[in-house]
Amino acid sequence: MTSAGLSVLSQQTPAKPAPVRPKARSADRRSGRGRWFVLPFLAALTLFMFVPLGYAVYTSLFTTKLIGGTSFSGFANYEQVLSSPDFWDGVRRVLVFAVIQVPVTIGLAAFFAAIFDLGVAKFGRFFRLVFFIPFAIPAVVGALMWSFLLLPQLGPYTRAADALGFSGTDYFSSRLILPTIILIVIWEWTGYNMTILYTALKAIPREMVEAAVIDGATFSRVILRVKVPMIRPAIVMLVFINLVGALQLFTEPSILSAFQPQAISYSFTPALYVYNTSIGSGEYNLGAAAAVVLGLVIGAISAISLVWRRRSGDLA
Amino acid sequence: MITSRAGSRGKAAVPVLERWSERRLAASARRRDRRAADLANAVPVRLYGLRRGTVTALTLCAALFALFILAPLAWIVVNATKTQANVYNTFGFWFARPFALFHNLSLLTRSMSGDGVYLQWMANTALYAVAGAGGATVLCALAGYGFARYRFRGSSALFYLTLSTLLVPITAVALPLYLVYAKVGLINSIWGMILPSMVSPVGVYLMRTFIAASVPRDLVDAARMDGAGEVKVFIRIAVPLMVPGLVTVFLLSVVAVWNNYFLPLIIFTRNSSYPLTVGLALLAQGAGTGTKAGLVPVLIAGGLVTVVPVVLLFVVLQRYFRADLLRGSATG
Repeated sequence: MTSAGLSVLSQQTPAKPAPVRPKARSADRRSGRGRWFVLPFLAALTLFMFVPLGYAVYTSLFTTKLIGGTSFSGFANYEQVLSSPDFWDGVRRVLVFAVIQVPVTIGLAAFFAAIFDLGVAKFGRFFRLVFFIPFAIPAVVGALMWSFLLLPQLGPYTRAADALGFSGTDYFSSRLILPTIILIVIWEWTGYNMTILYTALKAIPREMVEAAVIDGATFSRVILRVKVPMIRPAIVMLVFINLVGALQLFTEPSILSAFQPQAISYSFTPALYVYNTSIGSGEYNLGAAAAVVLGLVIGAISAISLVWRRRSGDLA
Repeated sequence: MITSRAGSRGKAAVPVLERWSERRLAASARRRDRRAADLANAVPVRLYGLRRGTVTALTLCAALFALFILAPLAWIVVNATKTQANVYNTFGFWFARPFALFHNLSLLTRSMSGDGVYLQWMANTALYAVAGAGGATVLCALAGYGFARYRFRGSSALFYLTLSTLLVPITAVALPLYLVYAKVGLINSIWGMILPSMVSPVGVYLMRTFIAASVPRDLVDAARMDGAGEVKVFIRIAVPLMVPGLVTVFLLSVVAVWNNYFLPLIIFTRNSSYPLTVGLALLAQGAGTGTKAGLVPVLIAGGLVTVVPVVLLFVVLQRYFRADLLRGSATG
């Protein structure tokens, strides 16, 4: 997953554009200098995002053969990717992953954000700090810790489960590996989501809540009718962010595969498919096609979120 | 909080030390304000008509989840002190003799079975994180200021172009980057890691929002009236007001680079260039397949040492995270 989620943070700050002032002539000339300020960033964005993506599209249109070298092959690589059952297997898996992980993460995050915001649980400040810690921990280390904890027969959690009567459970078996990864990702990302929702809740004016309470609104009505509508933009953005993260699932399964190679196939997720076809087996053209497909889907989600934010009016 | 900052800005000639202590005071006042604001903002529980038992039950829920979060961290601290046999054969959440922490840590300075040296990976990671995040902060500051305080031809189109990449993380372009690097000879180059880490559309958006809220347009205009050039206005007037935003972008970028795995995995083929994440994954492969005995303690101690700097940083980061948001929502 990514820390791109920051966008949510800033989108709560109502960044209305300052009213355009009548411009003086010299101001006009000066305002042109703004482009020098944005130029370095745009150059870097072009060189390290747009150019590589363009080059990947170009590469994906060719096929390299052991004999005969590289030749133009049109959409053949895309046909191969899109007709590969292994690729779709990975796509289906990350969708199942997302359908479970996204609501559970956001649900837990919203629950804790709500109770800390309402002050109906003690030590809220401490808990908020603790829940956020995994955000700062590399996914590699997070996955490693959980691998040891859930190690078949030897892990402390496995032993505890044995003692409770779930003996012989293999959390890395092909049947349970996905739930295990979901558990790890929930551990990693709930606190981050909670922090964003908590700050969104804190931004709601107190008077609004007080008015509702004085009007006789019950606890649940305050939450459902006052608070949830106010933080809906933040929730929707979190759905987009978590979805993009889910589609790119790579680090956790690739670390777990060190412990249990047979449960994680080369196409376990689309990102693993991209990695293994290109870096793993040297089929760079095919890998590029898969990367472009994945990039297009992520780009589409990003674009939809942008349109949605514009329409709901919380974008300057 | 804005006014206290504005006050310290006015006295540019005040000696550095005094300004520093003034800033410390302002920071502690900010913390106090925040705590008071927290209290004032909470509608008292009794108003909701809840029974006291509810508070206990909800606190218990939070405590259980905290246990879920903290247990793996407790495990890694405890097991960094164990020998390989004890990691598997003793109770996971308590210490066992012999106390091998220092031995395990000393292994981090050695090459383990040709996998490379952990300490080198640590130095690499620090370099990538500081250089990448430093660069990202500078680019974001400039671009954020340009978008927030200037209107030039195409400015809003370019801003929407930036926004359209907001959710596209650098890992999504890792393979495309590799393909380009292979063409231009940037495979195994540290620049291949540092330069893309400087691209942070999110950071630009954050800075633009932050500047729009906390660098007054009138102040910028007044400085221009006085004859200051655009660069001077930026450095002397805008940057000092942007500090909290800059720190936030910097810290978030450090965490992003520190935790990045996919990009370095693809672009580095020499283990002397690896960052910690890729090095640890390499160790995990050796330890997991059991081909290299004795790697497990290195892996666990290494994992712990990897986490410590980021968590320390995060303690600082958390403060700015909130302060930033609260200010943004209060002054926007």
